[in-house]
Amino acid sequence: MKRLKRYFRPEQLRELSLVFLMGLIFLFFGTQIEGYFSPRIFNRVTSDVAIIAVVAIGETLVLLTRNYDLSVGSIVGLTAFAVGKLLSFHPDTLPIVALLAAIGLGIAMGLINGLLVSSGRVPSLIATLGTMAIYRSTLVAYPAGTKNVVTHDLPEWILDLCRTQLFSIGEFKIRPVVAGALVLFVLFQLMISYQRFGRRLYAVGSNPEAARIGGLPSQRLVLSAFIICGATAGLGGFMYLVRYGDLTPAAAQGMEMDVIAAAVVGGVSTMGGSGTMIGVLLGAMMINLLQQSLLRWLVISNFWVDALLGALILVSVTIDAVIINRLRDVWAQRGLEGNPVDEKKIIEEESLDA
Amino acid sequence: METPTLRLSHISKRFDMTQALDDVSLDLYPGEIHALVGENGAGKSTLIKIATGVYRPDQGESVLDGQPVQIHNSQEAQAYGIAAIYQEPMVFPDLNVAENIFISHRGRGPIVHWSKMYEEAKAILAKLDVNLDVRMSARGLTLAAQQAVEIAKAISLDVRVLIMDEPTAALSAHEVAQLFALMRTLRSQGVAILFIGHRLEEVLKVADRVSVLRDGKLVSSKPRSEVTSGGIIRDMVGREIENFFAKSAVQRGDLMMSVRSLNKENAFHDISFDVYRGEVLGFAGLIGSRRTDVGLALFGVEPADAGKVIFEGEEQTIRSPRQALQLGIAYVTEDRRQFGLTMPMSIVSNISLPMLRRYLTGLGLIKRRDETATAEEYRQRLSIRTPSVKGVVEMLSGGNQQKVILSKWLNTRPQILILDEPTRGIDVGAKTEVHQIINELAAQGLGIILISSDMLEIMAMSDRILVMREGRQMGILTREEATQEAILTAAMGQNGSPAEVVQ
Repeated sequence: MKRLKRYFRPEQLRELSLVFLMGLIFLFFGTQIEGYFSPRIFNRVTSDVAIIAVVAIGETLVLLTRNYDLSVGSIVGLTAFAVGKLLSFHPDTLPIVALLAAIGLGIAMGLINGLLVSSGRVPSLIATLGTMAIYRSTLVAYPAGTKNVVTHDLPEWILDLCRTQLFSIGEFKIRPVVAGALVLFVLFQLMISYQRFGRRLYAVGSNPEAARIGGLPSQRLVLSAFIICGATAGLGGFMYLVRYGDLTPAAAQGMEMDVIAAAVVGGVSTMGGSGTMIGVLLGAMMINLLQQSLLRWLVISNFWVDALLGALILVSVTIDAVIINRLRDVWAQRGLEGNPVDEKKIIEEESLDA
Repeated sequence: METPTLRLSHISKRFDMTQALDDVSLDLYPGEIHALVGENGAGKSTLIKIATGVYRPDQGESVLDGQPVQIHNSQEAQAYGIAAIYQEPMVFPDLNVAENIFISHRGRGPIVHWSKMYEEAKAILAKLDVNLDVRMSARGLTLAAQQAVEIAKAISLDVRVLIMDEPTAALSAHEVAQLFALMRTLRSQGVAILFIGHRLEEVLKVADRVSVLRDGKLVSSKPRSEVTSGGIIRDMVGREIENFFAKSAVQRGDLMMSVRSLNKENAFHDISFDVYRGEVLGFAGLIGSRRTDVGLALFGVEPADAGKVIFEGEEQTIRSPRQALQLGIAYVTEDRRQFGLTMPMSIVSNISLPMLRRYLTGLGLIKRRDETATAEEYRQRLSIRTPSVKGVVEMLSGGNQQKVILSKWLNTRPQILILDEPTRGIDVGAKTEVHQIINELAAQGLGIILISSDMLEIMAMSDRILVMREGRQMGILTREEATQEAILTAAMGQNGSPAEVVQ
């Protein structure tokens, strides 16, 4: 036990249990669905997860600051749609230009969200609920030509991007999109744990007042988180276009729920100030694996998939509130000999003023 | 003599290390205004909380009309006719006056009879001689009017014992007069009133009987005719200075900061003082004297509106904590939980947070080893008791948390350190250690501003003491002049005359 404690923090324990749970799910459905153990599920899950996970990176930064961004689904849809139209009309656009256009568009929308929250002092839940609708309507009202983006209008390279594979291990294909997402995850994990910006995000989220008195530029930090969230959502939009090709104005509708669910299941606190990128990646994989498997499992109706996912979120938040926090206490108290704090006593003592 | 409405009989209450109340007995008679005075921490709040059922006494009992009663919570207290109103009235701003008055009524049926409610509210206010529109929403009311609504609320519940905890603290002189008139009306109707006050002249003006608490003990309880302000102050002081680490004499160094006529609307006015190297300047005053506001202004959290701050010879306008930090001012906050620490983060991260710049590599990564080394250094220097500096601060005891905050701010390498209640809520051992640290820092040439409600701490640790009262500077006392009487006289304002002001 002592050794275990030296090597694992409660957060890591949580991540391990996610991996374990995924293994269980995998085994269970293997017995239920014929031909389940095939590389196909791996390939499908990884391509899907890549999008959700990239968008979840930015969302996690926003969640760390004790805010929400509900507009990411609309940002993904709008950028996918806009870039799809751009490529349909100008098929000779350079790939890098298309990619940068997607990210740039995302940044612009993230900037609007961020300004509303940090300077406009609108609660983030409300601000992004508003922009979610506005961005989506912009997409629907998109002026040019037909309402939909169709695959055969798109240039070859886009289609290749989703077909090619960087390398494969047997039938398991690693596509460029998936590899890109993994690289991004590593970079952001490093950033939040080793860079000043990351550390400050945690600080602002866990105690805004103390951050202010500590002289941290809280408003700017929140704004930056929203901008990065817009950027990753824009990138997610590009990936969405690459993956699906055919788009309707309802593209990526409701994705914000999957994204937030991935973060929450992965252990990001909605109260701000805690969570890791690794956890988020696992959360995204877990949710997608469950979704894909449930859709193929004929025992229950597809309508119940969402309900089961909802239940999963509730369970993981409850586990967080009850078990992980308890563990954290045990860890800290056993570790810190001497006098553990008795919260109540201190409060009582402090109220002994006049 | 008649039986008291409420008798608090031989009440004792202990919190951990402190004996908050020790065998206190108090009789509240119908139609009498009973004033209760005492220093910060004398036990007044605890006594109120016991009377209203918030706390249970360890020993002793409440006797209502000669019958012992058990009061478990404020609803039960209300049912017995005991109500309390506080400094900050607790009205609901979006409800109107009548709704506020009847907010805690039960058994009036599930349907609101508006016209009946308005009529009854009007009747109650008329009984109190208060002229208020019962349909007006509470948001626009002055503090005095809100107090009146609170009192009306108590009356509507047939209050027999009304406890008023510093109700005048936020009121203007005119409003105080109105409140006193109201209290006299209640007295004539046979209500027993317990009035907790900080302003001696008010106590002497309105009370029929004055009781003094000191260190949880009842020191005296006399009718108005037998008390004088000098007598009250003598009863309040008289604690012995013991177990206190006294500041050692340090040669006063160069002038570091001069503050001239610092002003902030609705907080403090005309504050002027100098801080020298190696000196501890104490800020004394009772609760509500706005000492913390001065500290917050100097650190740029709530900047002042007017006045000069001359820091090392240059005039500065401090508008944000960042700017104050750059100048070399650090502020150790009063409320550790809310402002001081980021609880779920490690000791290391908390200490380095304001100064992360110092720990960055060329690539912008945090040098964790250096960070940890700094934390280790402070752990040893301030003897923070933890097996690892990587543990989260939430799990430390109050005293050790306080040392982490001190480390955090010392790590900004300040020239001036403002300490706001640095030893509140920590045990005696840790207290002595903090005092020792203050002493060492002063010896190293820091200028220290010590805000504390603990009179003995202020007296033991300060070279000079600035006494504030309700946002005004009452004077600066030297160590020799600063007797408990002198400080309290200045802090409480005797008969409105300015205390012996020594500059």
